[in-house]
Amino acid sequence: MIAIEYYLVLGAALFAVGVYGVLVRRNAVLILMSIELMLQAVNINLLAFSTYLIPRGDTEQHLGFIFAIFVITIAAAEVGLALGIVLRIYRNRSSVNVDELNRMKW
Amino acid sequence: MSEAGAIGLQWAWLAPAACIGAFGALALPALLRRNLPRSGVLLAVGAIGFSFVLFWFLLNSLLNGAQRDFTVSWFDAGGDAFDLGLTIDPVAMVMMGVITFVSLLVQIYSLGYMRGESRLAWYFAVHSLFAASMLGLVLTNSLLVLYVGWELVGICSYLLIGFWYERRSAAEAAKKAFITTRIGDVGLLVGILLLYYKLDTFHIPTILSEVQAGALSDGVMTLSAILIFLGAMGKSAQFPLHVWLPDAMEGPTPVSALIHAATMVVAGVYFVARMLPLFEAAPAVSELVIAIGLVTAVMGATMALTSNDLKRVLAYSTVSQIGFMILALGHGALAAAMFHLATHALFKALLFLGAGNVLHAIGEHSDVDIRRLGGLRARMPVTSVVFIIAALALSGIPPLSGFWSKDEILQAIWNNGNPATLVITIVAFFLSALYMTRLVWLVFFGKLKPENQSAHEAPAVMTGPIALLGVLTLVFGFTAPDWLDNVLSLPGEATGFASFVLDKADSFHEHVVLAAISSVVALAGIAFGLALYRHDLKLPEGVDRALAPVRTLASNKYYLDDAYQWAIDRVVLATGAATAWFDRYVVNDTGVDGSGKITALTSRVLRRHQTGQVSNYILVISAGALIFVVAITLAA
Repeated sequence: MIAIEYYLVLGAALFAVGVYGVLVRRNAVLILMSIELMLQAVNINLLAFSTYLIPRGDTEQHLGFIFAIFVITIAAAEVGLALGIVLRIYRNRSSVNVDELNRMKW
Repeated sequence: MSEAGAIGLQWAWLAPAACIGAFGALALPALLRRNLPRSGVLLAVGAIGFSFVLFWFLLNSLLNGAQRDFTVSWFDAGGDAFDLGLTIDPVAMVMMGVITFVSLLVQIYSLGYMRGESRLAWYFAVHSLFAASMLGLVLTNSLLVLYVGWELVGICSYLLIGFWYERRSAAEAAKKAFITTRIGDVGLLVGILLLYYKLDTFHIPTILSEVQAGALSDGVMTLSAILIFLGAMGKSAQFPLHVWLPDAMEGPTPVSALIHAATMVVAGVYFVARMLPLFEAAPAVSELVIAIGLVTAVMGATMALTSNDLKRVLAYSTVSQIGFMILALGHGALAAAMFHLATHALFKALLFLGAGNVLHAIGEHSDVDIRRLGGLRARMPVTSVVFIIAALALSGIPPLSGFWSKDEILQAIWNNGNPATLVITIVAFFLSALYMTRLVWLVFFGKLKPENQSAHEAPAVMTGPIALLGVLTLVFGFTAPDWLDNVLSLPGEATGFASFVLDKADSFHEHVVLAAISSVVALAGIAFGLALYRHDLKLPEGVDRALAPVRTLASNKYYLDDAYQWAIDRVVLATGAATAWFDRYVVNDTGVDGSGKITALTSRVLRRHQTGQVSNYILVISAGALIFVVAITLAA
């Protein structure tokens, strides 16, 4: 059986890639995709912990899996909403460059 | 008088209540700018007339020995009970008689004098309020209520002095009167609170019995007596707070007669009389009272002698006469002071109303130089006769009322005072006779000036009251001797006026030598006055030159007004400017604006960090989270 550390390193790497993407990308759609990466990193951690830390046959064996399904559902809804907002922004400003979206300040 | 008409003395509260009612009925439409019918002002006259009738019933009950002290609970505040109450003793009764009688006559007189005046309803409304608050002031036994009445009469005085507020001088005079008396009132308030603090009651009889039982230390008694006397000095126009009274003559003449001669200005005398045991327990204050009374009496007389304004001569005369009352109180002579208060109220009200007739005759309201009057005797027979009677009474010619009361004062000084005081008082009596002679001669005798050819006697509604006052001035003095009880067979102990006021058998002080001296002095004053003003007697060169500085001093009102003006300009206004500067630049600009400016400055720097670039925020949040996790890991 593969040790849990492999899963955790994969999740951390995926999360770091997501954070990097959110920080440096200028395109709003790519930022959304980076956020998806971070969410999936979390999912990998949830599945790994659920599999390795809870003894077999325990009633809470599938708790992590259920969480992961919830995260996927929420992520889908979030992307649907966020893409709608991005679309409106594009219609208004002909651009989805987040550097230009800086009106929310003093 | 018999038992039949006796009513309980507690019904005295009806008198101020009726006047308050008249005030409300007249003031509300006046404030709402609705017009009452002209005859509406008769409400005020009716209310005060009712009070005057009530006075006789109450007097009857008092003489029949009814209960005098009444108290009802007013309100409780945190364990302290405050009471409303009445004390109807002879001193209060004298005041009530004077107030209701003079108010009634003055209001009737005003019907004629103020005819055709707009705001007539307001005038009578304030008159009613004045009568109510003055009655409340004298009838109550609570220092708290007394203080309320004290301030209310001050307000009424202010409103009536400034009745013709379109004239700047009247508005200024009203302000001056109010502020000057306020200075004394502060002392009064502190004195009342000091007594309350020490004795835990506002009830005057309790306070006086505590004082007599020695419940207070000497220091507290002296201090509270001085503070209370300060209030009396302001209200009763005693040196050095007398400066407002002459200026108060800007008001309508009936107001001068009622408030600034007969009633309000003697409130201070009344209050000191009420609190006399306190003053007797503090001998040092009695000395002060004597000194103030004496200085005021002489100063007022000299200023009356040099003033050329008809009403101001009378005002200075009032200042001087109240000085005599205060002087008598300083010697502990309650009866003498109250008797002079009553006689003075009658003849001084008469003099003012007579002066009002003169002003009415020549069509002026105030500010009349007596040197341009003269010879009005032929045109105004009634006014001139009663005016002369009052002037003789004020001079102290027997057997008019002023003679008796001045005699009582002289005897009080003779019995308890020192010779120097007696001599100075006699000199002041001489001056009184002199200035009244001067006034009467310049106004009523001599040649009629061409501009006054149209002068005419006042209508009956105006001559009636002064004729009545004239009769009383003639006969009121005879209440002083003891024989009255033999003739009228009065019930109880009361015999002469002194016995009535002191509430015990106290024979009239017969002292033939003093009576003779005061009569001779009065006659000498009149003779000297006639010589000066009728026969144009020239004083010897040396005497004239010696008197010149005194004359300058007196005609400039002893430079007190100038001194006060200087003090206001240099001290009060300078302090005010300094305070205003502190408020403007320290409190406002530094304190209030400063805290706002610091916030604004800080935010101007800090808001640069809110870029609106979401990725910046995320970077900081991520870095923060990272540092947090690392810190926790290292710590664990």
